[in-house]
Amino acid sequence: MVRREPSHLWMHLALIAFVLVTIYPVLWVLALAFSGQQSVGIIDLPADPSFFERLRAILPFPEHFSVKNFTEVWTEQSFGRWMLNSAVVSLLTTGLGVFLACTAAYAFSRFRFPGRNQGMLLFLVSQMFPGTLMLIPLFIIIVKWLGLGNTYFGLVIVYATTAIPFCVWMMKGYFDTIPIDIEESAVIDGASRQTIFFRIILPLAKPAIAITALFSFMTAWNEFILASVFMEAEANYTAPVGLRFFVGGFSAQWGYFAAGSVLVSLPVVLLFLYLQKYLISGLTAGSVK
Amino acid sequence: MSLKRWFSGIYILGLTVAVTVTLALSAWLFHGAERDQWLQYERRLAQVEANALADALSAAGPDEIGRILKAWQSSRPERQSAVVIAGMEMIGSAKSEDQAPRRLIRAEKPLYDLANQLRAARETNLSEGVVRKKLIVFDEQAKDAFVVTVPYLDKGEFAGVLQIRMRHVETDVSGTVSYAGAALWISIFLAAIVLAALLHARPEMPRDAPKIVALAAFLGLTLFYQSQRLETFAAADLESTRRVASAVADAAKQHDVKAVSPAIVSRWDTDQYQRPLGVIRTDGAVVGDARDKLFAERAKLLERSLWAVEALGLVLLLAYLLGYMRRLADTVRHHAAAYAYVAPAMVGMLVLVFFPFLYGITLAFTDTTLFNESLPFSERWVGLVNFFAILGDFNLFTRNADGVIWNYQNFYWTLMVTIVWTLTNVTVGVTLGFILALILNTDNLKGKAIYRVILILPWAIPNYITALVWRGMFHPQFGVINQILQLFGMQPVGWFDGVVSSFFTGLATNGWLSFPFMMVVILGALQSIPKDMYEAAEVEGATRWQRLRHITLPLLRPTLVPAIVLSVVWTFNMFNIIFLVSGGEPAGANEILITKAYKIAFENYQYAYAAAYSTVIFVILLVYGVFQTRVTKATESY
Repeated sequence: MVRREPSHLWMHLALIAFVLVTIYPVLWVLALAFSGQQSVGIIDLPADPSFFERLRAILPFPEHFSVKNFTEVWTEQSFGRWMLNSAVVSLLTTGLGVFLACTAAYAFSRFRFPGRNQGMLLFLVSQMFPGTLMLIPLFIIIVKWLGLGNTYFGLVIVYATTAIPFCVWMMKGYFDTIPIDIEESAVIDGASRQTIFFRIILPLAKPAIAITALFSFMTAWNEFILASVFMEAEANYTAPVGLRFFVGGFSAQWGYFAAGSVLVSLPVVLLFLYLQKYLISGLTAGSVK
Repeated sequence: MSLKRWFSGIYILGLTVAVTVTLALSAWLFHGAERDQWLQYERRLAQVEANALADALSAAGPDEIGRILKAWQSSRPERQSAVVIAGMEMIGSAKSEDQAPRRLIRAEKPLYDLANQLRAARETNLSEGVVRKKLIVFDEQAKDAFVVTVPYLDKGEFAGVLQIRMRHVETDVSGTVSYAGAALWISIFLAAIVLAALLHARPEMPRDAPKIVALAAFLGLTLFYQSQRLETFAAADLESTRRVASAVADAAKQHDVKAVSPAIVSRWDTDQYQRPLGVIRTDGAVVGDARDKLFAERAKLLERSLWAVEALGLVLLLAYLLGYMRRLADTVRHHAAAYAYVAPAMVGMLVLVFFPFLYGITLAFTDTTLFNESLPFSERWVGLVNFFAILGDFNLFTRNADGVIWNYQNFYWTLMVTIVWTLTNVTVGVTLGFILALILNTDNLKGKAIYRVILILPWAIPNYITALVWRGMFHPQFGVINQILQLFGMQPVGWFDGVVSSFFTGLATNGWLSFPFMMVVILGALQSIPKDMYEAAEVEGATRWQRLRHITLPLLRPTLVPAIVLSVVWTFNMFNIIFLVSGGEPAGANEILITKAYKIAFENYQYAYAAAYSTVIFVILLVYGVFQTRVTKATESY
C-alpha cells in the first residue's frame, strides 16, 4: 500500500491537467454569458497589452458581472418560445422512442423468429446512412406529402425513428442479461406475454430505459439540421436553430449565444449527470460477457 | 366439406389479392401517366402560344410589339400577361400599367437573368451545332398558371425574350372512365370463381384445374383492364394533339400568317429546344405516323411499368397457388407475438428510414435540382452520369512553378481529408479515453467521483454548442486560444486560413467532446474484469506491462471493438464539428464528405449530385462495415 502512494501523485497531476482542459471551455461560456456584453473576448484588450492584461483576458471570469444577457435573451429575443418548442418535441420524442425501442428490443432479445437476424442487421446498416442522403427525401415525405412541416409531430416521428437502432441495440443488450428463468416461472404462474413484459421485464430494465430515454431526449434536444429544414416559421424554431442564428450571421451576438447555450445545456447536463450511474451499466451490459 | 376448406380450395383469397394489387397498382400508374399527359398537353399549348406570338412579333418589327401583345392578351381570358424584355429594358407589355418601354426594376432581376440565360443557350446551340440547351423555359414555381419564356428575335438575331403567362385550363381531355367495363370485370371474376368452385366440387376433374382457372381469370381480368385503360390513354393523346392543332390554327388566324409565310405554322408545336415535333402540318392537319411514333415513345415507360406490375401480380398469385403464402401465414401466426412487438419500430423504420434511403438512392440517378423537381421522374433520369462525374474526376492537383496545387473540390481530396480526420480523431479519442480510464480505475484513488463527473461533462453538452464555443475560442482576432499563445510569446495563428491549422481546430474540438464516451465505455469494461486475475498474475510474477498486455487488452476487446466501430462511423459522419467550427475553410479544403454533400445540396441546390455523393459515402461505410466485421468477427457481441 505504501509503495503505491507516489504513483497516485502523478495520477492526480495528470487528472488535474485533463480537468483544466475539460472545464475551460465551459467556464469560458459562463464568463461570456454573465459578462452582459456581446463580444467574443472576455475583456476588451488595449492595442498593446501587457503580460498581465493578457493573462486577465484568458481568465474565464467576466469583467463586470451581469445577468443582462439572460434577461434579454428571454424577453427581447424569442428564445423562451424556442425553448418551449424544443421541450415539447423532446419529451414527445422520448416517450415514443422509448416505447418503440423497448418493444422491438424485447422481441429481438426473447423471440427467435424468421427475419430476426436480418432485422438486426438492417438496424445496424441504417446507422451508416449518411444524413444528407436522408434529408431531401425526408423533407419531401414530411413536408410535401404528409404536410407536417412546421408541426411538432413531424419532427417527433423523425427523431424517434432515427434514434431507434441505437436504443434497440442498447435495450437488447440489457434484456439479454435478464435471466430467462424469471419469465419461465412467470409463465408457469399463468402470466400473459403482456404482463411479463410490462410488469416484470420493464421494471427490471429501468437502468437501460433511463439511458434510452436520455438518448432519445438528447437526440431531439440537440438536433438542428432537420429542425432548420422542417421548421420554417420563426415561431416554430427549436432552441438549437435559434442559437445558431445568434452567431451565424455577420454581427455575432456571443453574449446571447452564451446565455442561451447555458440555458439549453443545463437541463441535459443535469439529466446526464443524474443518470450517469446508470450510464456505465447500460452501455456495457450488452458487450461484456 | 367445410366452407373454409372449400374457399381455400379454389384460391379465392389468392385470386382476390393478386387481382386487387395488380389493378390498384395499374390504376395508380395510369393516374400518374394521365396527369403527366395532361401537364404535357398544357405545356405544349403554352409553347404553341409563346412560339406563335414570338414569331408574330419578329415579323411585325419592334414598333408593333405593344399593339400585338395587347391584342393577344385581350382575345382570350386564360391569357394573363405577356412581356418582352431586351437587356435592361422592358420593351413591350400586354398590360398598360406596366408603361413599357421602361427600364427593369430591381424586383424584375430574374427576368434579366433569364434573358441572359436564353441568349447563352442559343449561342451555345448555334456554335456547337448540337441542340443541347433548352430554349423554352417554364417557371416551375408558378402556381395555377404556366409561365413560359422563349427567345424573341429581331431580323433573325437574338434581341431579347418573350414571357407569357397562361392560366390553367380546367377541362380534362382524358374523359370519364367507362363504368360499363367495371361491371364486365366483376362478372368475369364471379364467373371464374363459380367455375373454379364447380371444378373443385367434382372429384373426377384433375386436381390442378382450379389453379388453372385462377390463373386464367387473373390474366384475363388484368390484361383486359390494362388494354382498356391504354386505349383511353391513347385516345386522350390523339384528342390532345387535335386540340393543339386547332390551337395552332387559331394562332395562325390571329397573327395573320398568310401575309408573312404560311410555312411558319409548322414551327410552333415544338419541344423545349424549339425543335418542331413534326406532328402538325402547315394546313393544321395531324400527321398520323409522326404522332404514333411520338406517342409510342411517351408510352414506353408506362407500358414497361405495367408489365412489371403484371409480373408482380402473377408472382403473388403463384405464391398462393404453390402454397408459399400458406406457409408464410403459418409462420406469421406462429410468431405472432414476436412480430407484434417488432412491428411498431419496424414500420417506423420502413417509412422514415429505409424508404427515404431508397428514395435518395433513386434521386442519385437523376439530374434533379431545385429547379426541375416537379418534372416526372422519367424526364429526370440520367443513369450513372453523377457517379462518373464524382468518381471519374481525377483532376486532383496541378503542377506549376511553385509546386503542386491541390484541387480541394475534388472527391478524392475530400475522401483523403475524411479518412485522415476519422483516423486521427478515433486514435485521439481511444488513447485519451484509455489513459483516463486506467487512471480512474486505480484502487483507492481519492476524488475519483469528482474527476469522473467533470471529465464526462463534454459528452453531456450538446455538440453543436461545443462546436460554436470552440469556434469562438479559435477566433483569429479576439479568440482566447490566440491570447494564450501570445501569453507565451508566440505569434497569433490565423486558424482558419491554413489547411493544417484549420484541420487542427476540428481535431481539438472533436477530441475534447469524444474522449468521455471512450473513457466511460472502457472504464465500465475495466471494472468488470475480476480482480483475482490480476492478483494471480502478480503472484506468478507478471510485470505491469505484461498484465496490461495479456489480461486487460484481451478482456477489453469485446467492448472496445464495437465502441471503435461505432466511433469510426460517427466520426466519419461528424457533420456538426466541421460545419460549425471551420466550415471547411480555407476554400473547402477541410470539408469532409458529409459536409461537402450538404453544401452541394443546400448551397448549390444540386439535389441529385448530392444524393449521388451521399450514396458513395454510404457505400464506403458499408464496405468498411463488412470488412471490419470479417476481420474482427465482432458480430457475436451484438
